[in-house]
Amino acid sequence: MRRVITGNQAVAYGVILSRVDVVSAYPITPQTTIVEELSELIASGRLKTRFLKVESEHSAMAALIGASTGGVRTFTATSSHGLAYMHEMLHWASGARLPIVLVNVNRAIGPPWNIWGDQSDSVSQRDTGWIQLYCENNQEVLDTILQAYLIAETVRLPVMVVLDAFVLSHTAEPVEIPSIEEADSLLPPFCPDYPIDTQEPRSYSVITTPDYFLEFRYKVQKAMEEVPEVAKKVDDEFRSRFGRSYGAIERYGKKEAELLLMTSGTVTSTSRIVIKKLMEKGLSVAGIKIKRFRPFPSEEICEVIQGAKKIAVIDRNLSAGVGGIFAQELRASLYSREERPQVFGFVSGLGGRDITPALIEEAVQYTVEHPQPEGDILWLGLKK
Amino acid sequence: MGKQITFKRESEMPMISVSLGDMEWNKTGAWRTQRPFYEEKTPPCSAACPAGNDISGFILKTAKGDWEGAWNLIREENPFPGVCGRVCFHPCESKCNRGSFDEPIAIHALERFVADFAPRLSKKTGKAGEKRKEKVAIIGSGPAGMSSAYHLARLRYDVTVFESFPLAGGMLRMGIPSYRLPRDVLDRELSNIEALGVEIRTGISLGEHLKLEDLKDYQAIFLSTGAHRSRGLHIQGEKEKGVLSGLDLLKKMNLSKRIKMGEKIAIIGGGNTAIDVARSVIRLGKKATILYRRSREEMPAFEDEILEALEEGVKIRYLVNPIRVGQKDGPKRLECLRMELSEKDESGRRRPVPIPHSNLFIDADYVVIAAGEEIGASFLPEGAEKREGIVLTRRDGSTGIKGVFAGGDLASNQRTVAHAIGSGKKAAMAIDAFLQGKDAEEVIIQHLIGEGPSLSIFGYLHPGERLRNPHVVTFEELNMDYFEPAKRQGESKSAVKERIKGFNEVSSTLSEGVALEEAERCFGCGTCNECENCYVFCPDGSILKREELFSHQVDYDYCKGCGICFTECPRGAISLKEEAK
Amino acid sequence: MKKIEIPPEENLGHGHLACAGCGAAVAMRLTLKALGEKTVMVFPASCWSIVPGFWPYSSYRITAVHAGFVTGAATASGVRAALDVRGDDETLVAVWAGDGGTFDIGLQALSGAAERNEDLLYICNDNEGYMNTGTQRSSATPLLAWTTTTPVMQPKENPKKDIMAIMADHHIPYAATATIAYPEDLIRKLEKAKGIQGTRFIHLFSPCPPGWRMPSEQTIKISRLAVRSRIFPLYEIENGRTYTIQEESHVVPVKEYLKLQGRFSHLTEKDIETTQRNVDDTWERLQRRARC
Ligand SMILES: Cc1cc2nc3c(=O)[nH]c(=O)nc-3n(C[C@H](O)[C@H](O)[C@H](O)COP(=O)(O)OP(=O)(O)OC[C@H]3O[C@@H](n4cnc5c(N)ncnc54)[C@H](O)[C@@H]3O)c2cc1C
Ligand SMILES: Cc1ncc(C[n+]2csc(CCOP(=O)(O)OP(=O)(O)O)c2C)c(N)n1
Ligand code: SF4
Ligand code: SF4
Ligand code: SF4
Ligand code: SF4
Ligand SMILES: [Mg+2]
Repeated sequence: MRRVITGNQAVAYGVILSRVDVVSAYPITPQTTIVEELSELIASGRLKTRFLKVESEHSAMAALIGASTGGVRTFTATSSHGLAYMHEMLHWASGARLPIVLVNVNRAIGPPWNIWGDQSDSVSQRDTGWIQLYCENNQEVLDTILQAYLIAETVRLPVMVVLDAFVLSHTAEPVEIPSIEEADSLLPPFCPDYPIDTQEPRSYSVITTPDYFLEFRYKVQKAMEEVPEVAKKVDDEFRSRFGRSYGAIERYGKKEAELLLMTSGTVTSTSRIVIKKLMEKGLSVAGIKIKRFRPFPSEEICEVIQGAKKIAVIDRNLSAGVGGIFAQELRASLYSREERPQVFGFVSGLGGRDITPALIEEAVQYTVEHPQPEGDILWLGLKK
Repeated sequence: MGKQITFKRESEMPMISVSLGDMEWNKTGAWRTQRPFYEEKTPPCSAACPAGNDISGFILKTAKGDWEGAWNLIREENPFPGVCGRVCFHPCESKCNRGSFDEPIAIHALERFVADFAPRLSKKTGKAGEKRKEKVAIIGSGPAGMSSAYHLARLRYDVTVFESFPLAGGMLRMGIPSYRLPRDVLDRELSNIEALGVEIRTGISLGEHLKLEDLKDYQAIFLSTGAHRSRGLHIQGEKEKGVLSGLDLLKKMNLSKRIKMGEKIAIIGGGNTAIDVARSVIRLGKKATILYRRSREEMPAFEDEILEALEEGVKIRYLVNPIRVGQKDGPKRLECLRMELSEKDESGRRRPVPIPHSNLFIDADYVVIAAGEEIGASFLPEGAEKREGIVLTRRDGSTGIKGVFAGGDLASNQRTVAHAIGSGKKAAMAIDAFLQGKDAEEVIIQHLIGEGPSLSIFGYLHPGERLRNPHVVTFEELNMDYFEPAKRQGESKSAVKERIKGFNEVSSTLSEGVALEEAERCFGCGTCNECENCYVFCPDGSILKREELFSHQVDYDYCKGCGICFTECPRGAISLKEEAK
Repeated sequence: MKKIEIPPEENLGHGHLACAGCGAAVAMRLTLKALGEKTVMVFPASCWSIVPGFWPYSSYRITAVHAGFVTGAATASGVRAALDVRGDDETLVAVWAGDGGTFDIGLQALSGAAERNEDLLYICNDNEGYMNTGTQRSSATPLLAWTTTTPVMQPKENPKKDIMAIMADHHIPYAATATIAYPEDLIRKLEKAKGIQGTRFIHLFSPCPPGWRMPSEQTIKISRLAVRSRIFPLYEIENGRTYTIQEESHVVPVKEYLKLQGRFSHLTEKDIETTQRNVDDTWERLQRRARC
């Protein structure tokens, strides 16, 4: 079934098709239409999901932790301050190895108040032990949610599916919606490892001394390390059923290009147009879309950058004092390689400012013109 | 379960920190700096009972409805619960800890209840087993003699009691009137003693029919002849006809002899004998007036008895002292002096002094002198020393003559039934020790209740059983949080109108319901009654309840020594001591 | 004296790490007896994150879900939802939270759950301070008490928060106070709560010997004096409206309660009067609420 729907509606479809048992969420722009949509669906009886309309995001995640421990499939959506407010519980979910799926609609964190797109909210949760998957369009949003459950329930780690505020969340696009049967054939019911069973009482999340804490964290890391392979399998499976796949990253444009442009989210769509245009102008340039931010796809990136001299990264986020986080992560991935392209770290579009084709071109142009960047942060579109 | 679990490799560990075992391996007992332990202690009531009754023990059984058990427990120490429950002056009650809270437990009433109810359920009297070869002679069948006969029989001796009167029982039969002690009660308890194989030979008087030398066959002798000689007033006319001692009058009445005494009886004295005489006389339909030389406050008779006497119409004239019994025959005219009280004498009572020229006359048909009793010394064997009117004995009841022991009124100035019973028991233990070549004094000291002089034979008869603890529980050691004030339940008395018609018992035995209620009032000082407080409140689940144990047990593997059980035991049955390092 | 009857099952195992004489350990033992095995209990951070022991062990013989400090009521809501989805409406979902986790940091989540009338039995184990972290003040710490953050030079300036009034005004079906010196009352209330649907709240008062600077053997005594002095009256509120007060026949001045505890040893006669007035006022307020 093909319908023209917004990103947030795509999320709702993802939830329906994943047969989520328990939803718990708290409204925040630009996520609100997700909870509204779900409320409608549940109220109308079309969706048999328990929706806990809790009093905060912290409680939303806590409730899912309870529910997921209870052995059912869970979902929440949030954004910005809401995600930040959940922070403590994000750690808890991953430490407890609960396959919760969370949709975060990227939004700037105040002050000043700002409700528009900015990845700082999600990237600043990079150390919480969550898998993070960024989406470029509404189709990808829906597909990623289905994939997210499969990955999460395989490796027993929570997954954050990320989409841009408004550009996706509130913008309607044609989306192919699988039937519930198709979705079921992809996604089997959740089968917990340690379901609550009062016949065999256990304690969960028992306090652990230095004797074993390290080992539990080691296991989280090991699970993260399984993700590339698991995610690939899931993606392949998905392709075989639906004809669509996304990979951890996607390289597009010229083969063996000297200059690479790295983006994530909807900027990638704009970048595709710019790259195409510049290629036509004869530039040796290609694009890299980062879909999976956690675990960071270092190997996948390294496989596709042979011959590149420079990589321009556009970050719609800022870790003040360092710069854009994607650029930073890329630098870290390259460090151990013999062949290390120059990384040009552009920061742009914070707080929802458009990253226009012109700005992207400016970034590429700068990268072409400079043998090396004039600093760790290259401000793109800054009113100087 | 209960084992420690360790992991060498991360791969052996589960994915998450779910529990895999319990904490039983963690012996928190190691934290303990103080150690609680169950320790049965002595309640003050028991320490005060001259007969050595296990009071808290029998009341606990009573509260559980186990009357037979209660009865048997009393009879471990005292063969006369039915008698004591009626006539003992119950010093136990004045020491009862409950007295510091509201009112003391009606211990005597419960004792009486048990003695009256339990035998209806059980005819068992317990055989003593095969007799030993040693024989013991007992002179006098009062409570002292019969108590010692009872315990000696339980110690398997061949016991013969010689009694000068035609009937056994001593003062219980001859002195105490039957409206206070029905004879069937006495007979029942005496026959239970006889059932153990004790032979009572009545009508045989030591000194008269029998000499000490005639008792060569007996390896030990217990003298318990009581105090049967009435003290005189040493006034003119007291030896005349129409004047009789209180005790002699009571003896006559108790042997159902008819006495001509007219209508108006004057009784001189202020003790229990005087009251008993007055109340008996009233029951014969006559008028009784007691003449006492001090005031009401100094009267040695028991307050309750005085009150009952007054209720029944006995008149008491205070501060009058007869100096002469006038008229030889027929009605008497007593010449008396009025008295006033001066400062206290050595007995703590204010001394009466005559008011000069205050002579007055009191007319009576008959005069009874109840000025106290003395021991009869004539039959006393040589070698038995006397001092201050009693036969002198050592701590173990032995006299100066080897193998001859003495007790009861004969050897004590504390002349009560319970004391007599206690002294009989002491003699039994001492005689056994003597015959078995043990140190009698040592034996006695070992079995004192509290600090004594009350004595328990239980531990002596059942070696291996815990001895009574010298620790007597004080009120401060109890936890009053668990008790609500509750009215003391006493026996009911029949109406005065009914009482004076004859010699029927004045008070009646508690009913089952009332007895249970009263028994439940008992704190059970120092004795675990399985109230469960320790078990309920232990934060560490370290109080073990064991079916086979009466008391609970502390699980020292886990007890942290917090002391909660110690504090929350309402009755001080748990002690706390510093943990040995 | 009546024998205290409690259920025989022991659902708190031996070897746990509660301090000697811990009132909450008594409370836990009794509570788990009353609730039975078919219980999932959520534990936001408190002494009870540690007391049952370190991984791989636990002394709980019921299902225990440890949770973030803030999240007692929320985590439990999730567990309840999961069990409902699984079709299990028999298992009881309970929360055992400290006063910190209830009066303070967890109040929002609790209020949310209560307003939603989640089917939970929420037990606030009140030891009047953050004991797990070493006795800091909470909003349950009583007026003028010493804690490490309210030193004797400046003891707690504010009276204790009235959590029961707050809960009552959420109109939950059942709220009750209870304490360990009254085990049968506690068990009765737990059993009653167990039989009710919706959010049920038990304010459970548990003396803490180290935190209150009191001898460990006095735990029960102090619990009882709290009720007798009316600083912690026992009562129930049904539907936020119907009050039943379990009046203690022995009423004692609050001084009797205060004098056994080191955390009040700095109190002057005037301070004690102030406390007494505060107790009287609160009692008066309770009576007023109960009347209308
Ligand atoms: C009127 C009265 C009322 C009393 N009421 C109470 C009371 O209510 N409560 C209480 O506790 N106490 C009471 N007493 C005291 C109590 O009765 C005695 O303390 C107690 O009976 C002493 O017991 P006993 O065995 O030593 O002597 P007794 O009871 O006097 O027994 C001694 C026995 O020895 C016999 N006997 C004496 N001489 C000889 C001999 N030579 N040969 C053989 N047998 C001999 C006597 O006949 C008697 O049977 C009362 C005493 C009297 C007189
Ligand atoms: C968000 C958060 N803040 C602070 C803490 C530290 N902390 C853990 S337990 C606790 C105090 C608990 O107090 P209370 O709830 O009264 O329980 P108690 O330990 O007294 O039983 C604190 C402050 C924490 N775990 N989480
Ligand atoms: S014999 Fe006397 S003192 Fe002993 S228990 Fe009976 S009444 Fe009390
Ligand atoms: S309360 Fe009971 S045990 Fe305690 S002194 Fe009184 S009668 Fe004896
Ligand atoms: S209450 Fe329990 S832990 Fe405390 S001293 Fe008694 S047995 Fe030991
Ligand atoms: S600190 Fe207090 S509440 Fe915590 S375990 Fe110790 S005694 Fe119990
Ligand atoms: Mg606390």
